[in-house]
Amino acid sequence: MIDSLVILLLTVLITLGAVATALWKGPFDKLIGLSIITAGIIPFVVMRGYLDVAIVVALIVPLSTIIILLLLGRPVR
Amino acid sequence: MESLIAAAICLLIAVYGAFRAVIEKETLARLPFVNVMNFGIAGAIVLILPHPLTLVAAAAYFIGSTLEANAIASAYAKRGGT
Repeated sequence: MIDSLVILLLTVLITLGAVATALWKGPFDKLIGLSIITAGIIPFVVMRGYLDVAIVVALIVPLSTIIILLLLGRPVR
Repeated sequence: MESLIAAAICLLIAVYGAFRAVIEKETLARLPFVNVMNFGIAGAIVLILPHPLTLVAAAAYFIGSTLEANAIASAYAKRGGT
């Protein structure tokens, strides 16, 4: 019963992040929404026992975010 | 079973942080609540599965997510708040 509560809370987190990412306009707001989606997905990977996959995903997603931030920092031409 | 109750409490805190982050209007006001959500998720990753390697996964997630949120804040401030 408490297991289904954990799954329900993670599903709420993923759905909230997806809807917010789709509806927000600014690029920084969209990156915040992507971080909310990632926070919902990684505990699902951990629940199934794929801990190496969870470690790699948790290290690659911030790197991709930082690369997108480097692209956002330069002026638009 | 008891550890799952603690994980559910951590996830409740995380969902509260995510709701506050979505409700806020300004981008810089959202980032502290995103940090609250990241701390809650890092606690839930440790408590959700009894295995020694979950500690490494939680440490990797904690480092990565804190770096991500602070990098977003730094780039936003350096760009001039647009």
